Amino acid sequence: MNRKMLIAFLFAAIPTFGADSQWVLQQSMLTYHVSHPLHQSEGVSHAAKGKGVCHAGQCEFLIAVPVKSFDSGDSNRDLHMIQVTRSAEFPLVTVRTRLPESDATASTINADLEIQFAGQTAQYKQVPFKLDKQGNEIHITGTIPATLTDFKIDPPSLLTMPVKNEIPVRVNLTWHQQ
Amino acid sequence: MLSNLWRSSVSSLLVVSLFGMLAPSLIAQTAGKSVLTGRVTDPSGGVVADASVTATTIDSEQKQTASTGPDGTYKLELPEGSYRLTFQAAGFKTLEISSATVSGTAPEVLDGKLERGEPVNGNPATTQQESLPNAPSSSTTAPSLSDLGLSPEQTRGNPQEQALLDRRTHMLRIHQRMGLITTIPLVATVILGPGAGGKSEGTAVRDLHVALGSLTGDLYGITAYYAIRAPRIPGTKKRGPIKFHEAMAWIHGPGMILTPILGAMAFTQKNSGEKVHGIAQAHGPVAIVTAGAFGAALLSVSVKF
Repeated sequence: MNRKMLIAFLFAAIPTFGADSQWVLQQSMLTYHVSHPLHQSEGVSHAAKGKGVCHAGQCEFLIAVPVKSFDSGDSNRDLHMIQVTRSAEFPLVTVRTRLPESDATASTINADLEIQFAGQTAQYKQVPFKLDKQGNEIHITGTIPATLTDFKIDPPSLLTMPVKNEIPVRVNLTWHQQ
Repeated sequence: MLSNLWRSSVSSLLVVSLFGMLAPSLIAQTAGKSVLTGRVTDPSGGVVADASVTATTIDSEQKQTASTGPDGTYKLELPEGSYRLTFQAAGFKTLEISSATVSGTAPEVLDGKLERGEPVNGNPATTQQESLPNAPSSSTTAPSLSDLGLSPEQTRGNPQEQALLDRRTHMLRIHQRMGLITTIPLVATVILGPGAGGKSEGTAVRDLHVALGSLTGDLYGITAYYAIRAPRIPGTKKRGPIKFHEAMAWIHGPGMILTPILGAMAFTQKNSGEKVHGIAQAHGPVAIVTAGAFGAALLSVSVKF
């Protein structure tokens, strides 16, 4: 009787291995870097929210972060950043990507990203990220090679000198599998 | 005394004329039509041809429509103002942007990304898909923004706040440029200071010092105006170098009022053949402190220490 129950339990359990799984963004640190001839500055946000849904071996991820949550340590610069990126009208940066579920075990991945920011959409192909899996958590680090022209943002200037076009965004995310 | 008044009037006229020449380039106002352009894409980034883009004025509900070309781009020539934009294409849900401001001579760019949905007239839309090896898909399993638990305040756009920010940046940009321009006569005035107040009986350096000082004061007034009148953004707590920048204004602001008053007293005493005495003696030190505070304010927001 016990053996029959065990077999029945195993058969019942098999479908759950192929069922959908989800990932939730547990911790995040996104840092943009801006270069100006007179100084460098960085803005950091810990406010990103994200979710990943896996189905039939493919996972779809969505991350959203309020632009206003980036803090550069200077309220004047942050307000200017919000103005030039039209963040009052377009308050979120969203990042979408689709990855094979098997990538969760890799140490590096190359992801195609679709980023919506400042009312524009830009795609970045094959952006490299490092993965560190520990139990049900995956720690992902990498840098998105964003530029101002990707999002049709006029370069802000200080003392009539504009900032550089490149605004690389360092990504540091911890995902938890549910 | 009369000659002093005449000189002051001439220098003031010079300042007004100079500002009259500078002002049009500083405050560029553009009348007439502006161009609104952009590209309409589908969820995968492919362009959508023959999409209809309608701009409706928020004030008078007047409409103007354009269609996207084979490359998905559209172009609308619109009078300056605020518009509600609607993007429609067969096979896609209608996208509406509640407010977009069109202004200036440079074309405004506003792209529309359509989500797949019920066909508008039963025909599928023509799209040119870009092939990416693991590009985002529009599958129904993909998470949406509503899954992330963001508050409505975090997701909702606020065109009024954007307009306020635009105005603030416009005014502070003029403030910054005027501040830089002011630095030139300010430095020259300080350099000429010792010669103007020295033992020399000649008046040429003194007159030049007065003229440059007057120019500095007027330009400073314009600079200050654009900082003071720039709109404040509600809910913003000041952090970082801007606090020092504003603190310095409490020194160079009163200094810029006091310096010419003391200077006028010293000028009168000197022209009467007297040695500068009394409170007028403070003209030089006050000017130095004022110039120092002005320089520190400028550097505090320009260079990272």
